[in-house]
Amino acid sequence: MHESSYKIPGGKFVKIKLEISLGKIVDVKILGDFFLHPEETLQKIEDSLVGSTAVETTIENAISRILTESDATLIGATARDIAKTIIMAWNVT
Amino acid sequence: MEEFRFIDLEVHTAFENMAIDEAVMLSMKDGNAPPTLRLYRWNPSAVSIGTFQGMTDEVDVGFCDSRGIDYIRRITGGGAVYHDFEGEVTYSIIMPKGHRLAPSDILESYRLLCGGIVKALEHLGIEGEFKPINDVDVYGKKVSGNAMTRRHGCVLQHGTTLLDLDVNLMFTILKVPQEKISDKMIADVKERVTSIRDILGRDVHIDELQVALKNGFSDALDIELSPGKLSDEEQDTAARLAQEKYPSRAWNFSR
Repeated sequence: MHESSYKIPGGKFVKIKLEISLGKIVDVKILGDFFLHPEETLQKIEDSLVGSTAVETTIENAISRILTESDATLIGATARDIAKTIIMAWNVT
Repeated sequence: MEEFRFIDLEVHTAFENMAIDEAVMLSMKDGNAPPTLRLYRWNPSAVSIGTFQGMTDEVDVGFCDSRGIDYIRRITGGGAVYHDFEGEVTYSIIMPKGHRLAPSDILESYRLLCGGIVKALEHLGIEGEFKPINDVDVYGKKVSGNAMTRRHGCVLQHGTTLLDLDVNLMFTILKVPQEKISDKMIADVKERVTSIRDILGRDVHIDELQVALKNGFSDALDIELSPGKLSDEEQDTAARLAQEKYPSRAWNFSR
């Protein structure tokens, strides 16, 4: 499992736990002390990222899309921050 | 003036406290509960983590078990909080979505409700200020942390106000890699976090904070607090949640 933590400047803390196989996400957990309303959106984001490759902008767009579809509000972190932390985890060997 | 049901300072386990907050929301969703303000303490002392945090990432569960400290996942986001029985008072405020005290803008919502804490501090002779996103600070140090959720057709915000603070104990309970617990880091936390007793330099009794919080919320939110208790329905739901959901590994270790 790959892990990374990122304290967002002026924001909250994001932690990623990542399982990768053959260059694709098999499982991802997004943890931290940020706020997300409705909270169930996080599970949807995690599910939607399964199968993603290590392209930060693609991951960011996927997260943004779910946020929009769910009419969700993410506070203390952005889709970009989460995507960045996922790539950080990916690069941990 | 608008009336809120007021459930004055009670002492419960972590599981009961979180269960009661959710039970009130569930009854309110069905139109069976009025807007409500609760004050409560945690016995045994407990650590609560934000709904998106990992329990073993944040909490030294082994240490908590050895000391009889409970640990629980909240339904609200935010960070890990140590609720010392002697050292803090928690409040929760619950109202239906669309209530005047629950604006759709979430930061504005925090600012509004945290006004109750700022006013409570004022009653104690302390000048505090809302510190976005979800804190109340006194001279740049955090004295209160707050967290909100919007579900079951309601808005719930709960938060802690520190009466006392044991940084070393907090560091032991909250999982910080051992190598990071340097004197410098402890000093840093002391620079960032404070308590009412530290600020006033005297042994402030828990009753004083209780009264200040009651008056603070009433004044800041322009609400009349009408003493009340849980309905039978709420008590039944809370008992079920306190037994089945909140102590369960499935809930607490879901992340």
